[in-house]
Amino acid sequence: MSYYDIDSILTDAEKIPCTFQVDIPDLGYLDNTPTQPLKAGTKVSLPLWLAEMLAIANTGDIEGKSFVTFDLPAALGNDVVQALKADPRAVPLRDQSAHFYGLATHMMELSEEQELAAVLRKTFVARAAEVALHARKVGGVGHKGKGEEGSNLGIGGAGEEFLRGLDEWERKLFRKAHDGAKAGKEWMEGVKKH
Amino acid sequence: MPMYGDLGNKLVQHAKRTQNLTHLPPYQTELVRAVTREVRDLDKDVASLLEPFQGSFDPSADQATACTLLVNHLSMRRNKRCLLAYHRTRTDKLEELVWSGSDVLDLAGQQAGGGNGAGAAVDSGGGSSLSPQEEDYFRQYGDLLAAYKGQWTDVDLTGSLEPPRDLFIDVRVLKDAGEIQTEYGAINLTKNSQFYVRQGDVERLIAQGYLQKLG
Repeated sequence: MSYYDIDSILTDAEKIPCTFQVDIPDLGYLDNTPTQPLKAGTKVSLPLWLAEMLAIANTGDIEGKSFVTFDLPAALGNDVVQALKADPRAVPLRDQSAHFYGLATHMMELSEEQELAAVLRKTFVARAAEVALHARKVGGVGHKGKGEEGSNLGIGGAGEEFLRGLDEWERKLFRKAHDGAKAGKEWMEGVKKH
Repeated sequence: MPMYGDLGNKLVQHAKRTQNLTHLPPYQTELVRAVTREVRDLDKDVASLLEPFQGSFDPSADQATACTLLVNHLSMRRNKRCLLAYHRTRTDKLEELVWSGSDVLDLAGQQAGGGNGAGAAVDSGGGSSLSPQEEDYFRQYGDLLAAYKGQWTDVDLTGSLEPPRDLFIDVRVLKDAGEIQTEYGAINLTKNSQFYVRQGDVERLIAQGYLQKLG
């Protein structure tokens, strides 16, 4: 998670639902009404890079109130969690958020949701195994001698559906596993020749 | 609902795409300009917000202003990160290109052929996909690399890491490359001619696309 990491920056742009706790005259534009003051209690979707700091910043208030409170985004909502509990492999995470795990990790840092953390951990483990399985199949590592390009042409219906639903992190994992298997195979072939 | 940071985000999405490309897409002159303008506007807002306080602003006494200032500050910080990340992605790519031996002129040709310019970079210097600053960076990094390589005359640092199968190879000339000197005398590389040469002598020319290895 470096400062220059493109995926980390894009993850920070994911929006989460926030509620303002203070009246703020100049911030009406956040609620699409630039001419009107932003009233306490207004619900606005804010990107993580903004929401995070507003939620933890000290307002100087005696009660320790912060500028905004936030809820879990829909991507981590109850529906999704129930679906993940049922079968992690059947949920296209990408449809929830292209940076699903990045978003989830961020939210875990901001709030303590023990149960959600456990579900996410199980989800990743189950899906990672599936990703590895597909990565070995694609590009004809096991069969089909000359699957040179390593294109996605080789995979059938269900697999394709699963791979389409991978979030950005899982995609990286897939690419690494796939390239690794391919390089290993190429090396083995080279050994035989000489 | 357009808001602060949206343009910066667009820039980072460009960077994301750039990472997966082998060539360098056109520099987003307009977008970069728009993001820096946004930072300047935000800075002006902050200055005018703080003006009445004469340098003695107390955040706990005026929460609304404190929050506005925080939002402005965070937006500027966000834009800065987007700008830096965008440019760094590109300079990383430029360094890679220097190491692999392509030159700026090649890049310009690629861009003209591709015709995929978003219109933004066209005004920035003869159809190159680099900004003038980037061209400068490219040149100077190239000089730096050449100076570094100069310390070892018998090792080619940018040469291929693959051990050669044969010392001599057949090559066909794709573009006129003029005369080169080899251990076995000079050869004149004219287009479409074919030669049996020492691989080490022509490796650079193959990498630059002047020659094609046969067989």
